[in-house]
Amino acid sequence: MTKRISAAFAAIILFSACQGAGGPTQTPAPVRTDAPLASPTGTPLPQTSATAVPTTPAAPPTVLATTAASPTSSSITVTGDDGTTVTLASAPQRVVSLTPATTELMFELGAGDRLVGRTDYDDYPPEASQVPPVATFQGVEMEKVVNIGPDLVLAGGNNFTSQADIDKMRQLGYPVLVLYAQDVAGVLADISLVGQAVGESDTAAHINDSIQGRIDEVSTAVASLSKPRTFYEIGDDPELYGPAPDSFVADEVTLAGGDPITTTDPAVFSIPLERLVSEDPEVIVLGDAAYGTCPSDVYGRAGWKKITAVEKQAVVPVDDTIVTRPGPRIGEGLAALALAIHPDAQITPPADVPVYCSATPSATP
Amino acid sequence: MRGAALQVADLELDYGRRAVLQDINFAMAPGAGAALIGPNGAGKSSLLRCVTGLVKPLSGVVRIDGMPVAEIERSTLARTLAVVPGQTVVAFPMRVEELVALGRIPHEHHLLGPREEDRRAVEAAMDRVGIGELRGRDVRELSLGERQLAVLAMAVAQEARILLLDEPTVHLDLRHQVVVMELLKDLSRRDGVTVLAVLHDIALARQFFDRLLLLDHGRLIADGDPAMVLSAENIRDVYGVDPRLVLQVAS
Amino acid sequence: MSTRVAAAPASDVHTGLLESARRRPVALAAIGLVLAAATLILGVAFGNVSVPIADTIAIIGHRLFNWPQAVTWPQSAETIVLELRLPRVLTAMAVGAALSLAGATYQGLLRNPLADPYVLGTASGAALGAAIGLLIPVQIELLGFGLVNVLAFGGALLAVAVVYRMSRLGSLSSLTAVLLTGYAVGSLLAAGLALTMYVAGNNLRQIFFYLLGSFAQASWPQLVVCLPLIAIGSVIMLSRARSLNALLLGEQTAAHLGLDVRRERLVLLGAATLVTAASVAVSGLIGFVGLVIPHLVRLVVGPNHRALLPLSLIFGASFLALADLIARIPGELPVGVITAIVGAPFFLYLLRRYHAGYDL
Repeated sequence: MTKRISAAFAAIILFSACQGAGGPTQTPAPVRTDAPLASPTGTPLPQTSATAVPTTPAAPPTVLATTAASPTSSSITVTGDDGTTVTLASAPQRVVSLTPATTELMFELGAGDRLVGRTDYDDYPPEASQVPPVATFQGVEMEKVVNIGPDLVLAGGNNFTSQADIDKMRQLGYPVLVLYAQDVAGVLADISLVGQAVGESDTAAHINDSIQGRIDEVSTAVASLSKPRTFYEIGDDPELYGPAPDSFVADEVTLAGGDPITTTDPAVFSIPLERLVSEDPEVIVLGDAAYGTCPSDVYGRAGWKKITAVEKQAVVPVDDTIVTRPGPRIGEGLAALALAIHPDAQITPPADVPVYCSATPSATP
Repeated sequence: MRGAALQVADLELDYGRRAVLQDINFAMAPGAGAALIGPNGAGKSSLLRCVTGLVKPLSGVVRIDGMPVAEIERSTLARTLAVVPGQTVVAFPMRVEELVALGRIPHEHHLLGPREEDRRAVEAAMDRVGIGELRGRDVRELSLGERQLAVLAMAVAQEARILLLDEPTVHLDLRHQVVVMELLKDLSRRDGVTVLAVLHDIALARQFFDRLLLLDHGRLIADGDPAMVLSAENIRDVYGVDPRLVLQVAS
Repeated sequence: MSTRVAAAPASDVHTGLLESARRRPVALAAIGLVLAAATLILGVAFGNVSVPIADTIAIIGHRLFNWPQAVTWPQSAETIVLELRLPRVLTAMAVGAALSLAGATYQGLLRNPLADPYVLGTASGAALGAAIGLLIPVQIELLGFGLVNVLAFGGALLAVAVVYRMSRLGSLSSLTAVLLTGYAVGSLLAAGLALTMYVAGNNLRQIFFYLLGSFAQASWPQLVVCLPLIAIGSVIMLSRARSLNALLLGEQTAAHLGLDVRRERLVLLGAATLVTAASVAVSGLIGFVGLVIPHLVRLVVGPNHRALLPLSLIFGASFLALADLIARIPGELPVGVITAIVGAPFFLYLLRRYHAGYDL
């Protein structure tokens, strides 16, 4: 029995292993981004619907930073996306971040020096590598967390950080703020939330302003353009994976001026080729470019010849890290996605982004 | 029969609609020996199973020392009655003395395990059967004959006064057939063990037993000394072969 | 009657260290207990954060045995030793003992050397239960147990209950029927598991880790709940060594040796399944322990369950706690991988060395 079960998993393990080995050299760690739709194992797992979330379905994130109701004037009270309220006596000085997005955000908030723990697949910014890792894709290394003794833990919701680990840290007495953005607006709300929690609300507001600026820039640029049927490919092995309806990626594709092609059910991430062919995407965006899939591979796939995007050679690689990671670079990700869908749109290309599937290794300025 | 070690009275058995045993009556005195013979499907093994109490007859009764076998606790019965199967399959590596020691299970303490008397009984049984030299050998490495002797030693260690055997010489070479049969005879004569053996081989049966029980189609056709039971008529009727063939080989 | 059996030369296997170990199962048990104690100390002293061994001993002495001791260690060291490592090592030991004992019992009961605690569907039942538990969007927590633990426990018990009920109705020879039914029910449950995983979303990773087995989530409340279950089942199995001995030559012979085969089979199956279910509920599926430890012990002490069962328990406990220690030192490796990597070559070596072939 165990053998059968193991066999059922062989594919998944191989899948993540292959991706690990085939990752581009530009990316510091060949691991998937931490958007709610991708697990850090490298297995493409588009987000599930709210009904499949084991925690309380995420309510609109509420920020309850108060001065009047709190016990002391300096205390901070915030409610995470899992509905759990965290009260901090003062701005935390020892923060453990358990998602790549919150690690980026801490540095962006200017609070990178307060990070005392991260995951071993946090790959941005480069300074993050100075912070000791306290979690692997297997889970949180609890002894290390205890040894560090954080005064705030930032965790990913929807089982990005396992519920068991979250429960354990709370049981040990550490305040755990759970973040789970279901769409781009949710990312902005989470940035505010973390800003509140670490006492950097003003900086968070600035970050959000600049993200909002990018969102506005993109929506203005694509407003008058057609909305091509767009398939965002999350993975192609062993099956074809795409965004689920109403998922984070589907929302982004819409914002970027595309008409997203999704799976049939919020809980299902694999999309049958028949469905893809009948939906006939006009643009295919390769989120899995970072893991070795290139347009030339897609053009060579059996049964894909009649798809409009293939016929018109409209298969475009993007940097999955910025597109699907619900962090401070989400505006850049959206711009990258919009440019993938509408190459001629009036949008400033994101800077400092690795280029995939190009003969020349240098990045475009 | 008064004081019978084993008595079978008016026994009837069926498997579903098929009658297997009908109207079986016989008794054995303590220390007596008998061979149960008959063609395939005559009901020999079924009769043996009824005697062990593991198969419940439709009607009739089996008595062990005067007690209906159905009323005897299995653990008590195991100290009185031992069964030797024709073949023993051993699933795990096991030494000969460990196999023989299994015969002490009905006697040993449930929690504390074998005591000194149990260990002595195992030694004695191995000596009795003459397999002292096999000590330490893995049962699965033994020849079939040696293995059967080890199983017999296990039954001897059980110190049961009644010994039932289901074709104990099947697949054995001639020498081991004789060794086993002589041992049974010896157990019956010297230790007063009541021996009832299902035998396929008529020649062996008439050579080593004074009493034969001939079973055919679930009925006891004949019960008595070999000359009487193995009459030409019986052999022709029961086995359907020329009696000269059988009797020549047998003698 | 004279002996007519040719004398066989004494095999060289029957001399030396192993043979003297075989003759002294009590000494072997004593060695096993010392090893278990050493394992406990090692398991608590080492981890992926270093706590000085003097502090470790002082913390345990001070907090568990009320030794008068000045507190010179940081609070974090105390939490690591008492809240993380100690329950984890003890859980690993309890599960190792339970799986080894259950494996020995299943092997004896089914007279099949390939049997392990998962052979009658416990693994698939528990895995399906756990997977469903992960998908149900309700958080229930009772005594440190979530829905996942409870459903894994229930799934394991239910799978074996179904196998038992169905195989009893069959007309095949009983053991074959039980094994085939176990296989069929297990396959059905595995299909259910695959389906559950297909719709599992982000929970797939959690299901995956459950299937690999881990003690990372061990805690005092969980240990306190599972330990009595394991203890009850273990006492039942240990007290029925005689029945398992009687079953060594098959159920017919067992009946002839005075055993109520049907009752003993039910009791032993129930006890082995109870401890297996309690184990998989707290640790997920950890393979190999329940298969290999009974065989290793059997190679040393022979098939007598009066020695085999207690020694399997003792060495199983140490083995799994050591495997878990090896698993967590480099990070969190799945402990089942370690049990296989450590156990399989050793097992193969012993099989070759002692030609312990099996009639199958």
